[in-house]
Amino acid sequence: MEKAVNAHMPGLVARVVVNEGAKVTQGQEVAVINCMKNELSVLSPYDGTVKKIMVAEWDEVEVDMPMIILECE
Amino acid sequence: MIKKLLIANRGEIVPRIIKACRELGIATIAVYSEADKNAFYLEQADEAYLIGPANPLKSYLNIDAIIEAAKKSGADAVHPGYGFLSENAAFAAAVTANGMTWVGPAPAVLKSIESKCYCRELATQVDVPVVPGTVKPVQDPDEIRRFGFQFGFPIILKLDKGGGGKGIEIISAQGQGQVKQAFERLSRIGQLAFASSDCYIEVKVNKPRHIEIQFIADDYGNIVCLGERECSIQRRYQKIIEESPSAVVTENDRENLYQYTARLIQAMHYQGAGTVEYLRSDAGKYYFMEVNARLQVEHPVTEYVTGLDIVKWQLQIASGGQLELKQSDIQLNGHAVEARVYAEDPVTFFPSPGRITKLRFPSMDDGRLRIDHALDEGGVVPPYYDPLLAKVIAWGTSRSESIQRLKDGLAGFVIEGVKTTIPVNLDIISNAKFLAGTFDTSFIEEMQKK
Repeated sequence: MEKAVNAHMPGLVARVVVNEGAKVTQGQEVAVINCMKNELSVLSPYDGTVKKIMVAEWDEVEVDMPMIILECE
Repeated sequence: MIKKLLIANRGEIVPRIIKACRELGIATIAVYSEADKNAFYLEQADEAYLIGPANPLKSYLNIDAIIEAAKKSGADAVHPGYGFLSENAAFAAAVTANGMTWVGPAPAVLKSIESKCYCRELATQVDVPVVPGTVKPVQDPDEIRRFGFQFGFPIILKLDKGGGGKGIEIISAQGQGQVKQAFERLSRIGQLAFASSDCYIEVKVNKPRHIEIQFIADDYGNIVCLGERECSIQRRYQKIIEESPSAVVTENDRENLYQYTARLIQAMHYQGAGTVEYLRSDAGKYYFMEVNARLQVEHPVTEYVTGLDIVKWQLQIASGGQLELKQSDIQLNGHAVEARVYAEDPVTFFPSPGRITKLRFPSMDDGRLRIDHALDEGGVVPPYYDPLLAKVIAWGTSRSESIQRLKDGLAGFVIEGVKTTIPVNLDIISNAKFLAGTFDTSFIEEMQKK
């Protein structure tokens, strides 16, 4: 089943650190948001496989905006 | 004289510059990104131009877009404010190449002083003490290790073109095995962020205090120094409280620092306003650190004690005017202290963007409190830029009086909707060590441990 990793803070996407197809575990850093010049890690709340990356570097993100879609068991 | 000035910046510095321009009869052009389209200060400017999306790389750091706005508006000069492109030699060169006046030192001067090693070498030549270390960039990890064995650890590895607290690695005696990794990590950051991987070594100054000298220099070789500012209260290399005069700088120290500053600035052929930063060791020695080739965030502290308007002097000098001040005209009157209010959690310093739901200013009727800001009730503090919300500056006849005035000012300043550092500002200025003036740059770290 699909689950989304959402932005926890607004800002700009500094980078996405996983690729589509990668396996991630709960608590793993999957992206970094630049909020007010601070780099904040986005951690995956679930174990799963990266199905789709919804954002690109320097995209603007809002709180709760989906950044990465995971396929979870 | 400049007739129409474009302000290539955002936030509180825009209304600050507009105020000086109004008093000098200069028309103003503001620029804004999509995220700032409702900023109140845009209405204070005579014209305002959209320069791009929220992403600063495509707006406030976008040289082509700003130059285009300047040309479209018919501006004859550009003031870069601080941060963003303020010390960018390519931007300064683009401004002058398009026939406009750059409010700041010449592009060639900016280009040279980008290199800390150049500045350290120049300082050494004109007999200004620099933090002990290497003057030329280091080539390999072995050189760093040899330096450590000779002068002792810890040592600090810094990027030649670094800044803003980025590009610093501290190597302790225990971390000697990590020299190669630290060197490679720093070189990589330098290449990515500053397009230069060069780094150099400084020894760690014991219990340093950050003392800086504000100066103004014209095109005709005249220079005056406007006292010092102490900016030792920092977190993550970012200043939070600044004051002038410093509780620790003596008359004799100040006289020496003025001479160092004048020698260095004249050797650089620098014109305009600027700041030379020094470190003071606990033994009372001063070492040159770097030149900030722009208007500083904390300039109001100096304006309070000298009664001068630094932005007006910048505009007059950029217009080719002569500095009509002599050093003997500069009197430091009383004491001023500034608190920077950031949109951050006061405990964790975690950023806190959002909408301002309530805003109340303290009374400023006595002329002893000044608040520079870009806030309005219902306005948004966007997440894309620096977290600085406002600068609260107080003046008094003595240090204790200005600190008390700042306390009253901060206590009466209401900002709701975002978290602010007002509580931590109040903790700092109520702290016994701060009040006694016996602190160094580790103050915040020490305070948080307790």
